[in-house]
Amino acid sequence: MKLSLLTVVTRWTAVAAAFCGLLALNAPAAQAITCEVTPREIPITLSYHGAKLTITGQTAPDDDLILKISSESHDTAMKYYGKVGGLVWMKKGGLEFKDVPGVYLVNTTKDLNLILSETERNQYQLGYDAMAKATKIEDDKGRPAERKWFDEFTRFKEKEMIYNIQQGTITRQHGEKGNTFEIVVNWPYQAPPGIYNIDLLAVNNGKVVDKAATTFEVKRVGIIAALSKMAVDQAALYGIMSVLIALAAGTAVGAIFKKGGGSH
Amino acid sequence: MYMYLPIALTSVNYFVVIGLGLSVGLLSGLFGVGGGFLMTPLLMMIGIPPTIAAATDANQIVAASASGTFAHWRLGNVDVKMGVYLLVGGFLGGAVGVQVIKLLRATGGADFLIKMTYVVMLGLVGSFMFVESIHAMRKKKVASAAPAAQTKVAAPAKKRNGFFASLPLQVYFEKSGVTHSALVPLFLGTFVGVLAAIMGVGGGFLMVPVMVYMLRMPMHVVVGTSLFQILFTCIEVTFLQAYSNRTVDFFLALLLLFGSVFGAQIGTVLGKKLHGDQLKILLAILVLAVTVKIVLELVLQPSLLLAYAGGH
Repeated sequence: MKLSLLTVVTRWTAVAAAFCGLLALNAPAAQAITCEVTPREIPITLSYHGAKLTITGQTAPDDDLILKISSESHDTAMKYYGKVGGLVWMKKGGLEFKDVPGVYLVNTTKDLNLILSETERNQYQLGYDAMAKATKIEDDKGRPAERKWFDEFTRFKEKEMIYNIQQGTITRQHGEKGNTFEIVVNWPYQAPPGIYNIDLLAVNNGKVVDKAATTFEVKRVGIIAALSKMAVDQAALYGIMSVLIALAAGTAVGAIFKKGGGSH
Repeated sequence: MYMYLPIALTSVNYFVVIGLGLSVGLLSGLFGVGGGFLMTPLLMMIGIPPTIAAATDANQIVAASASGTFAHWRLGNVDVKMGVYLLVGGFLGGAVGVQVIKLLRATGGADFLIKMTYVVMLGLVGSFMFVESIHAMRKKKVASAAPAAQTKVAAPAKKRNGFFASLPLQVYFEKSGVTHSALVPLFLGTFVGVLAAIMGVGGGFLMVPVMVYMLRMPMHVVVGTSLFQILFTCIEVTFLQAYSNRTVDFFLALLLLFGSVFGAQIGTVLGKKLHGDQLKILLAILVLAVTVKIVLELVLQPSLLLAYAGGH
């Protein structure tokens, strides 16, 4: 009895599927990657001086981790110093850094360059070299500027505490609760209000194998929010209030000193 | 310990900022200078952006100069008539200076000119005041050794310059005990206003020597009158900065003025205990120290070669 070609193909497909199913049963169950941040909202109050962010989640046990916290990218205008007349240091001109994040904090389990290939680093914008390749820098006349200015830019931002790359800062635990990780980030008060992205990447053999993401918000509240709003929406009233309070404070202290006989 | 600043978008230590206000307020009460040329760089050092540092400083100077003017007014040290003439000139000069800067920025090289004007003016004013005060103090020592000659030494200060005396619109300024043409303080006010606008400062440290050496006003009246003039200039600047640029940080100004109003009162009391020449020497030393600092900043390589756009 002759079997049709279609029947042969169908039978072999069924055998292959059964074999793959057996293999899947013998392999360890793949762990879904998760990423959670606490708190989800950081309130900027009058006494705000930064915050502590705790980021936790589950990952596969053998993967290395890269955690990137960043804000929306935008163009940043800067002035650069240079020598004038070979003698004095002055602000010589402007540079525009195109499409760079305002905040860029990266934490990893190991040295970024060792756990991730250059191609992947470039694709996911991880590390200053990858960022430098993707960032256009233009001077006042729209001409491209040298790479050294990108290094100066990251140095400037690191001094402001809003750019940083750290390794070995993520703690891993393998136990009853599964394979978990935790990192506590000292959130810098210099970072402006806004929504921030957290990207968690699981890395194996130099490649990104899994990822998760979440967000959190840094938000002005109470009197800080009210005053910021007033300065923008009612600028004239804000200016008059600033002048009147300063005048009142100055004359009131003058009167107090008179009563105390301080100046006589 | 910390306060978040809603406009500067940074957090500062209460005690550091109040301490800065106290120190600069003390200098303000002592010498009749606004202190902007000291305060703005100090604020930048604690992380305040340059544009916000300059605008907010003007706001706190309103409080310090109000406090200082009040204290000096009670002591009879404010020549309101002279202050108004200088103020009118200052407003005119400020408007001219802003246009000059606009022109220079369009042609390039404005920053270089600003820095050089700063160094040259501060250096000249500081050196002149220092040498002149030493000279005056030596003269007094000689005069006190020969008391008969003392009345003759005081006389030249009141002597009127032939050219100034020949100008029209002569006015007697009772508080200062001098007679000048109204054009003289108007012109000098304009001159200082132009320079102050170019340099981006209030101009108190320029106005004080102008009043002492060109208008021949007594040192204690100079301090009170200078503060009176600075008060009105800074009211205008604060309002305009808040309205046009949104760069006045009210909380930062509150912390600064909390220190500076007390500092201004202490400065006024201290100033009363010091002789006019001693005050002049101290101011000269301060001005020269700032000059040296600016020169060092110019010749030494900055630790960071980038800065945010905006401000000087």
